[in-house]
Amino acid sequence: MEKKESAANVLYETAFAEYGSALEMLAACKKAIKVREVLGFFEHARDEYIHTKKFLSILKKQGINLSNKIARKYKFVHIGALKKGYVSDKGYLIETKRMKDFVAYIYTNELIAEDEFSKILKYFEDDKESTDTIHSIMKDELRHHGMARKYFLKYYPFIQPYQLMIYKYREYLHNKGRKFYFKNFQILEKLFTPIYFSVSLFVSLPLRLLNQKEFSRINKNLMDISSKSLI
Amino acid sequence: MYLGISAYNHQSAAALINEEGELINYYREEQLSRIKGDNSFPKNSIKKLFETNSLKTDDIKNVIFYEKPLSAYLNPLKVAAKNLPESLNLISHQLKNFKKTSLFCFVDLAKAYPGLEQKLLYIDHHLSHTLSALAYAESFKNICSVVADGFGDRSTTSISFVNNPNQIKELWSCDYPFSLGLFYSAITDFLGFAINEGEYKVMGLAAFGIKDIDFYSKMNKLIFWDKNEKTIKMDLSYFEYHKNIYNSFSIKLEELFGSSRNPLENLDVNNNEFQRYANIAFAAQEVLTNILKELFRHAHHLTGCSKFLFSGGVALNSASLRSIASLSFVEKIYIPPSPGDSGAAIGAAYFGFIKNNKNNSFKRINNLYPTIFNSKSQYKKTIKIVSDKFEYLSKNMEESFLLASELIKEGATIGTLISNAETGPRALGNRSLICNGQNLEAVSYLNTVIKDRSPFRPTAPAMLESTAKKYFIIDDALLNSYFSMSSTVVLKENSPIKNYPIIHIDGTARLQIVEPNSTLDKILLYLRKYDIEIIANSSLNISGDPTCYDLIDGLMVCELSPLKYLLTDYGLLKKLN
Repeated sequence: MEKKESAANVLYETAFAEYGSALEMLAACKKAIKVREVLGFFEHARDEYIHTKKFLSILKKQGINLSNKIARKYKFVHIGALKKGYVSDKGYLIETKRMKDFVAYIYTNELIAEDEFSKILKYFEDDKESTDTIHSIMKDELRHHGMARKYFLKYYPFIQPYQLMIYKYREYLHNKGRKFYFKNFQILEKLFTPIYFSVSLFVSLPLRLLNQKEFSRINKNLMDISSKSLI
Repeated sequence: MYLGISAYNHQSAAALINEEGELINYYREEQLSRIKGDNSFPKNSIKKLFETNSLKTDDIKNVIFYEKPLSAYLNPLKVAAKNLPESLNLISHQLKNFKKTSLFCFVDLAKAYPGLEQKLLYIDHHLSHTLSALAYAESFKNICSVVADGFGDRSTTSISFVNNPNQIKELWSCDYPFSLGLFYSAITDFLGFAINEGEYKVMGLAAFGIKDIDFYSKMNKLIFWDKNEKTIKMDLSYFEYHKNIYNSFSIKLEELFGSSRNPLENLDVNNNEFQRYANIAFAAQEVLTNILKELFRHAHHLTGCSKFLFSGGVALNSASLRSIASLSFVEKIYIPPSPGDSGAAIGAAYFGFIKNNKNNSFKRINNLYPTIFNSKSQYKKTIKIVSDKFEYLSKNMEESFLLASELIKEGATIGTLISNAETGPRALGNRSLICNGQNLEAVSYLNTVIKDRSPFRPTAPAMLESTAKKYFIIDDALLNSYFSMSSTVVLKENSPIKNYPIIHIDGTARLQIVEPNSTLDKILLYLRKYDIEIIANSSLNISGDPTCYDLIDGLMVCELSPLKYLLTDYGLLKKLN
């Protein structure tokens, strides 16, 4: 992958990650009961939406230099957040985690995000405007991290610093695990492609013999077709 | 109660119809998940239906799914199998993603609501569309249904005769991969817009096009109506959607029309290539409209009907409806407020009602706002957000409407988040951004600053029926569709409003005639004294997001855009600086 395309790819994926966070925070805002929490999540969601927009505007700037064929791969379609797994199809985190764990998740992941963004900067060394934008986003992520910490101190005063450390390292490990899984998944995908293709070829033979006319409903009363049938 | 579900392909939705055939509640999954085009199993929508209506699983007589899952799964595979080896990727993708297809509706339903899966029925996809249109029609007998979409569970286009709701006979169909919807989506992709999101942008862009005979004849070779065989034909060598998961069009299309548009580049009228793209969009729109006209002619020939139901995703193409309605034999066309897949959930639920309706009495669904929102549930929650970031200009509703109209007169844009939400993709006033449709600056601000849209996109006008008749050529055949903003109209000759910003460059507008006693009707009443009779109306959202559902969504639009005013069930809010 060329550097330009790698940069586009990183921006594209990061925009999805930020969009996923915005959705998570909005869901938390709607689920929260205490008015201060509602406000906190609301503002956090707003920031993440703004970050998404900022990453997409950098992507647009970079995209002008890409060929049309490559640029088409980086067309931002919102449903991608679900398809790419930035949002789970099982539901938002606030629906599956306890509030304490959810805030711990924010506490560590904002720090991880800040760290990840510092790696993105290397793609835009010659572009001061983009670098400044990313720096401002990094500041926001640290602020969110601080807010989550404040929340802990306020609502869970008996929590010990080492417990926060455990949360942090647990998320670091989760994150590393996710990356490891993803990388291996990609390798496995490549390894299994010939098998998938063989199965596809094998399946294609009977599929070609399927008589499409059997699907025809011409001159049939559609209301009388068995509603128990899958076909 | 009958629960209709659409999912796994385009927008998911769930609809609830009671024993009297009334649509009592309806949710699109994207409204709740906040992910535009959410096509996953509508667990949030079903949950919301259950909560809002205090339902138990026993209250549901049948759950009706909007397609035949095995047909929907096998048909594209069969076509792909004929296109080996190019289609290996597609077949392998389909096999790997088996669990994400509609075949898993039974399992997903069983997981979410155990027991409900035993009541699950599957109906033909185009039947769901037909019923979704029939439910909104004034007549339930002797009417012809035309369905055109991308792909359902077997055909892409069909014609049926509705003798009565229990006898709907299919008379003609066009099989996948020949598809009007997928053709238009491929052109959408070619022009750099997202498939299933950007089709209406192509429609808006087409108005800037000039009839280029060369482009038109080329486009007409890609897809056309075969007069001898009476069917839609395509030259599939220009398309790849039937054999490739990554590309909808082939390199041949670029050889024909020049390079496709880079989606990451801005598209505005000053762009060098703008005219070429607009001419391509124009040609595609012309070809689509002409094929639809042939389709309706054929439908009339087969059924002898002069009244039609028109549904499926292609029925969202409001610009083509005027031409269809101009056909001499057309007396009436009924288009449901949500003709696409999400609205098919209503048709599916309606199937349950028809099958169990012993006394054969049918009532028309005329509720354009079936998405129930209980504002009380969020009022208390949002107190802190509102007190920190907003002020109430008034908490009295009458005064709020009065103040909102005064602000509109001054050139402001108002967001509305009132009562229940609309059925379809078009905001009709309860989840809208509105401003003075006669004020160029205000409309331009709404369009390009608040919504951050390309300047070539039109903004729709909303007005009373009497006003509409004064300025536009109103087609009686489409009268119902104007209430849900489903069709465009053309200005009368020498119309004094031809320079108004809500008039598109080609002299058309996507008109909304406001319903009596609706939100916009009230505002227009107050605006009368300022000689403002036209409101510009756009959906309340920021670019790329679904239309707002609840108060928090509305407040978020204010936070993320320069929108200052929000008219809610609790009064008129003004954003603090």
